[in-house]
Amino acid sequence: MDYGVSGTLAVHTADEEVSMSDITTVLGEGTVTVEFDESFYPKDAIYGAAYVFIDRCYVHLDRAGDKRVRVTLRAKSGKPADGEALAGELQNELLGQAWRLSIAAENRQLIESITSRALGGAAGPPGLDELLAMDIDEATAFDDPLGIAMSWEEKYKKKGAADEGADAPKADASASSDAAEPNAAGEKSS
Amino acid sequence: MTQLISLGQKPAAPPDLVPIRFRDVAGDVLLTNPWGDWVFVSQAEFADLARGHLAAGSDVYTRLAERNFLRSKVDVEKVAAAMRNKKRFLDYGPNLHMFVVTLRCNETCVYCHASRAEMDAVHTDMTPELAEKCVDLALQTTSPAITIEFQGGEPLVAFDTVKHVVKYALQRNRAYGKDLGFTMVSNLSLMDDEKLKFLVEHKVQMCTSIDGPEPIHTKQRVLVGGSSYFESVKWIERINKAYIDLGLDPTLYHVEALLTTTRDALKKPREIVDTYINLGCRAIFLRPVDPFGFAEKTRAKIEYDRAEYREFYRTAVEHILDYNRRGEQVLERYAAIFLTKILQGEDPNFLDIRSPGGSAIGALAYNYDGKIFTSDEGRMMHETGDDSFVIGDVRTATYRGLMKHETVRALILASIREVQPDCVSCTYAPYCGVQPEHNHRTQGTLFGRMRESTLCSVHKGIQDFLFEKLRENDPKTVEILRRWTTVRERTHFVHASAAS
Repeated sequence: MDYGVSGTLAVHTADEEVSMSDITTVLGEGTVTVEFDESFYPKDAIYGAAYVFIDRCYVHLDRAGDKRVRVTLRAKSGKPADGEALAGELQNELLGQAWRLSIAAENRQLIESITSRALGGAAGPPGLDELLAMDIDEATAFDDPLGIAMSWEEKYKKKGAADEGADAPKADASASSDAAEPNAAGEKSS
Repeated sequence: MTQLISLGQKPAAPPDLVPIRFRDVAGDVLLTNPWGDWVFVSQAEFADLARGHLAAGSDVYTRLAERNFLRSKVDVEKVAAAMRNKKRFLDYGPNLHMFVVTLRCNETCVYCHASRAEMDAVHTDMTPELAEKCVDLALQTTSPAITIEFQGGEPLVAFDTVKHVVKYALQRNRAYGKDLGFTMVSNLSLMDDEKLKFLVEHKVQMCTSIDGPEPIHTKQRVLVGGSSYFESVKWIERINKAYIDLGLDPTLYHVEALLTTTRDALKKPREIVDTYINLGCRAIFLRPVDPFGFAEKTRAKIEYDRAEYREFYRTAVEHILDYNRRGEQVLERYAAIFLTKILQGEDPNFLDIRSPGGSAIGALAYNYDGKIFTSDEGRMMHETGDDSFVIGDVRTATYRGLMKHETVRALILASIREVQPDCVSCTYAPYCGVQPEHNHRTQGTLFGRMRESTLCSVHKGIQDFLFEKLRENDPKTVEILRRWTTVRERTHFVHASAAS
């Protein structure tokens, strides 16, 4: 199954500035400039498409006028550039990026579900190593910046709450470790 | 190529039809649904469906109903359970842990330049201390089974490290109780009786490369002072005999050999198959050359048009099918992976052909210097100066830190088929997978452009071939293809869990 993508494209040399359709491509000395209507592509798609070229080109983004965006690709030294091919590749990439954004938006729920399952399954529950990696010493071990160990009354200064300056709440560090090292290996699968 | 069907009206699918993807295959139209069922309809039947016509009780109605293509007939619970089963690999972290114990190698291969070092480059050997840290990290995976794969370079060059890792991992695994296995990818030319004894005794599965008949193999894999082919063959036979002496079934337990299809190999599909079968191999993996492991300037000499590869593949697999028709049981690995999904509705968890892909969440690569990569491909790109896929160092990394690394998240997102233009509407989406590292290497973007992807071209070409065979529906051929989907576990190589 093949897809056809229709659009308007005009390629001109710098000497041959011709008024044009929706996309203008101007080939210069070692550069190619592509201008298009910004409403065609989401801004993230434009950034994404331009970014693909940073290994081969210096990339400049600019506004070319009312609702027009200009992307200039200048070949890095020692890297010969086929300006026409770069312009075509940029436009293909713009289309790909824009469509991908649209697909991702349509499938957001599915993607989030798969991603969270993939990351959750692979990473597993927090282990002892993460607890040990935390910045805990004698001076900070019993800090409770979120007031987790406080009673509701203490935290919100309700009736019966402890006076200001009362003893710091005690946190039970041992209760926060989900899994010791061997158990972090995960449950068995069938 | 799909022909245009003149409908004379706006297309309107029958309301009972589930979402479908479609593709012309051998004159008919292949339909697949999102959960991987498939059915062929004729062009005329497809035109009727596009007009919204579907008569209850008709032949096409019955076929669609039987294959879960009609909403009113779908067993939702059954389909949901099948989908959960197919994605069960998401419940666990990496089970494959590749240890590059050295970059040194005694062979020089045309397709492998950057990821090897000369034999005097001892600084590219992994130290025992670093190897232990790799083992400690690997054992923290949430996967209940792990395989440690020794790679290089040539791992037999650093055999003391291999031995140390095996012993240390077996000892450490007593605390973890995982099903632990070892494999070694080796050219075998540095094998000797003492090494073989250790490897067999410790159930290290061995895998080697055979690039085709002797002239091709010897030309592509240069061994100074000897023949890389005859060394490999000699040790393949010795190792296979060792398995037989242990009373193991030789059809299941034998040296696995991998092909890297080069330009020279493309001309010899039948001879390559014959070579493998004569060596006693029962599985042939017709892998195209990949773009990793060599510098950019070498690519022009190595790469080839994937249309040539697809033709090579078809000829070679037809030859393999002929062997099977004559009673020889031998399979092609790519076909087996796809057919397991197509015919059995199972996912064999082949890391490069699943969604999301297996980079990092299915496998990790540990370099000799302690750097950790999302895949061996990522590791090879590092050797050519691209550090995009380095996600840590065994001296400082934590397991969960690796799994939550931003590169890992990006790789997951980039390898979900439903995110990709083309993949999202591809008929083969339920069976296929993308490899973001390949996209990055060949196209400069993790997400890739499938229209220009050589990997997509290969995957599509193989699935076209397989569905053509299924469309032909020759009973003998279909029986052979079904047999290729039967997974026989090599339990001998598993050090069963024995947590203490």
